[in-house]
Amino acid sequence: MGALAKLNERLRAKPAAHMLVERLSIAYQTPRGPFRAVDDVSFEVAAGATLGLVGESGCGKSTVVKSLMGLLPEGTSVSGRALLNGTDILGLSERALSDVRWTKIALITQSAMNSLDPVYCIGDQITESILAHERVSKAVAWARAEQMFEIVGLPGSRLTEFPHQFSGGMRQRAVIAMALSLNAGLLLADEPTTALDPIMQDQIMSRIRSIHADMRRSMILVTHDIAVVAETCETIAVMYAGEVVEAGPTAQVLQNPRHPYTMGLQNAFPKLPVRGQSRMPLISIPGTVPNLLHPPVGCRFAGRCPFATDLCRSEAPAKLSNSISQSAACHYQDRASEFRAIAQKASTWRHKDG
Amino acid sequence: MRGYVLRRLFQSVLVVWAVTSIMFLMFRVMPTDPTAMLMDRGMTEAARDKLLEDWGLTGSLWDQYVAYIGNLMRGDFGNSFFHRKPVWEVLGPLIVNTLWVAVPGLLLGAVLGSGLGVLVGWAPRGGKTERIGIFLATIIRGVPGFVIGIALLAVFSSALGWFPAFGMGSVDADQGASRYLTLDFLHHLALPLIAVAIYFLPENLLLMRSGVVENRTEDYVELVRAKGVSQSRVAWHTARNSLLPLITWLFPALAETIAGIVVVEIVFSWPGVGRELVLAVTRQDYPLTQSAFFLLAVMIVLANLAADLIYGKLDPRVVYK
Repeated sequence: MGALAKLNERLRAKPAAHMLVERLSIAYQTPRGPFRAVDDVSFEVAAGATLGLVGESGCGKSTVVKSLMGLLPEGTSVSGRALLNGTDILGLSERALSDVRWTKIALITQSAMNSLDPVYCIGDQITESILAHERVSKAVAWARAEQMFEIVGLPGSRLTEFPHQFSGGMRQRAVIAMALSLNAGLLLADEPTTALDPIMQDQIMSRIRSIHADMRRSMILVTHDIAVVAETCETIAVMYAGEVVEAGPTAQVLQNPRHPYTMGLQNAFPKLPVRGQSRMPLISIPGTVPNLLHPPVGCRFAGRCPFATDLCRSEAPAKLSNSISQSAACHYQDRASEFRAIAQKASTWRHKDG
Repeated sequence: MRGYVLRRLFQSVLVVWAVTSIMFLMFRVMPTDPTAMLMDRGMTEAARDKLLEDWGLTGSLWDQYVAYIGNLMRGDFGNSFFHRKPVWEVLGPLIVNTLWVAVPGLLLGAVLGSGLGVLVGWAPRGGKTERIGIFLATIIRGVPGFVIGIALLAVFSSALGWFPAFGMGSVDADQGASRYLTLDFLHHLALPLIAVAIYFLPENLLLMRSGVVENRTEDYVELVRAKGVSQSRVAWHTARNSLLPLITWLFPALAETIAGIVVVEIVFSWPGVGRELVLAVTRQDYPLTQSAFFLLAVMIVLANLAADLIYGKLDPRVVYK
């Protein structure tokens, strides 16, 4: 058996990973005090399953992903646990991290525009990740890279080209090929389609879905696009201002959202018009995200929520402890169906004082 | 690519020609007489006229110029007025002496400087390493070359007596080519070489550091780190990218620094081109000065060309048209 076949065999044998994040809190150190980017976040990704982490920009979803790879800036305070197959990977040393990075968790980065080194050819950058962890020759690593290119639909001959010779979509596919190179048990996809046009977005997402179906890796998909999650992920966790406000099986959460923020988020995405019905207007959520240097005492969404009461402003609802069954961090979950009807009207979101 | 190189070479010839012509004119308009040095020794008018004719200084400026350029194109740089022998016989050995100091000195300065630059660049922002590194580099960069030389002499020659204070070898040293391989020569070489290295190091350090600082927050570095490669490998990626602006500065600076080595040569009484050039200017030795400046012009032009070509090798985004 050739060296490449042996390598492939070895990598194929890797099981999909189980990831359990418990009470993860992250605060960046800034000159004006700690910036609580992530506060008490818990979720779970079953082996071979896909979790969608959704929320508007600045809600802390990328920070969660970075913490799992140990990529946060030095001095950032992190608490909680992230159990990868039962082992906590938070706070590992650089040396210990090198055994986790890429072998157990691989990253598909946001904005593939700048995430490749401009002065190395793509092939060198992919083989670099293989050679860092596997004792194989450069030629074998290159052959493996060619196979990965094939999986993402790029000709292997273009491995010798440089990032600037690739279009945005090709670069994104190259980054995906790189993430697949060691068949890590868990894939973190951080806004993999954000910088692309809609057609390319769709192509990349169907590519990711088919790869997921073939390889059965576990995956955390970070996106602000609720439609992408609906198509791709079994489980969803909706983040707002550093907290998970609603989580559960994707279909349930999107059909019957219990948190007003999830309801508002759905309104903010375009729906195709149905013949005979009036066009659904796009409704945006008024107001801005609270300053996480000084998070509000009560519910963080209270300032923008059309249903907020004095209770919401004075007392924070209980944090979610898991993402398996549908749950929401809202004082008035029992009135969710009533809220849903009201939330569909544009006037609901306009009538806000302050 | 080939067309580009040929075109650049052609441009280089034009630049060198222009520099040569300006140099020629500058020496001719200087209000001094190249025979003055010899006149002191009681030379007759007739002998002086004979000398001027021998040196080709009797015709009109235009005739002199045409003759000079014509000789240059034939590779004839003329005879030194002072040494009374062909310029290249004078300059040849001096060039070798200068290269002995310049090449290892500049190489050492560039390698050490950029290496330290990577270290300082990756040190925590605002931390001790960064502050001390930048402070020292800025101070040393501001110090004139002769001060560095004199300081080295004061400490390692006068006070400690570890190294000789001047010259290229002891009085009784062998004068042939084999002299360069003796311990005595290396002993004399050490201080001037270190002076050149220290003189050249800070700029390399600062440029490399700012490149690394700029690069270390780039997205690609995050991905390289995520791949789980060693930290030195991550640092190498940033260094490799920072090499691009460094090279743009380095090669032209290299040529200029070689011209600046004249100071080091004088401080250490090192018999090199720079020192001879200063003497030749004061002696009104037209052929020798013009040839030395011609040499420097060619070096600077070639260094610029080399920088552009190396840049293309280092950065795949560069296209030569």
